[in-house]
Amino acid sequence: MSTDDAGRNAGDADGAAGPDAADSPDADGDEAAPGLYVESTIIMTTVRLVSPFILTFALFIMFHGADTPGGGFQGGVIAGSVVMMLAFAYGIDSTRQWLDGRVIAALASGGVYVFVGIGLGAIALGGQFLQYAEYEALFGHAIKYAIELVELSIGAIVAAVAIGLFFLLAAGFDHAIEEDPS
Amino acid sequence: MTPAEWGIVALALAGAFFGGVAAVGLVRLPDVYTRSHAASKSDTLGAILTVAAAALALQSGLSTAKSVFLLLFMFITNPTAAHAVARAAQDQGIEPWTADEGDD
Repeated sequence: MSTDDAGRNAGDADGAAGPDAADSPDADGDEAAPGLYVESTIIMTTVRLVSPFILTFALFIMFHGADTPGGGFQGGVIAGSVVMMLAFAYGIDSTRQWLDGRVIAALASGGVYVFVGIGLGAIALGGQFLQYAEYEALFGHAIKYAIELVELSIGAIVAAVAIGLFFLLAAGFDHAIEEDPS
Repeated sequence: MTPAEWGIVALALAGAFFGGVAAVGLVRLPDVYTRSHAASKSDTLGAILTVAAAALALQSGLSTAKSVFLLLFMFITNPTAAHAVARAAQDQGIEPWTADEGDD
């Protein structure tokens, strides 16, 4: 469907696509409605059923990264893949409307702030960058909590960047068409 | 060998066989629909049999439970992914291959 839109836009830019545009007015009218572009009950039901488990699995991978294989990067990619799955099932446009770009930017930058804050906090307490042992004086088990927080922040960054890249790739074609005539 | 070990070996061999069938189908079949048909059905069965062999072989509570979850979700998601691929192909207007039009 996006190829149709792109073809129409490119045709308008050329100014020579009169017959093509007149060929399929019905299809254009259908595609104008946002969301539900797949409308497959099987895919939507499976995504609805599986998504919470995948998000839980992503958190499990993030939290377990300290002592088993896994960690923030892998867990973040899994968490980001949930949003891509939702986009495949319910339409990329409606998913983009549901998940605002500011939320994604806040996740990515917030993760960076948490990571750097934990790292610099150790310096402020008299240690070195990311020297978790310095936090032991403030509260118990500080090393484990600090590692998990750092893993969570890395996971947030990776998930947000993966989702943002996916949305950018999905939108890139239209933007390229828009920029062409100018 | 104990009966359980025979079962593990049989499951793993059957899983490898169906995985091989899926690979042959993926290479030899002519178009996207038949290929996704081979990849979804045989591949799901092969993966599930192999994971079932692993679940039997692990014999410890938590790891077996994880394998069973893996098996369950593979059983749900693998055919759904194949369905999505075939549906997208049909949405793009790809014609299914028929016997009278193709020689190769």
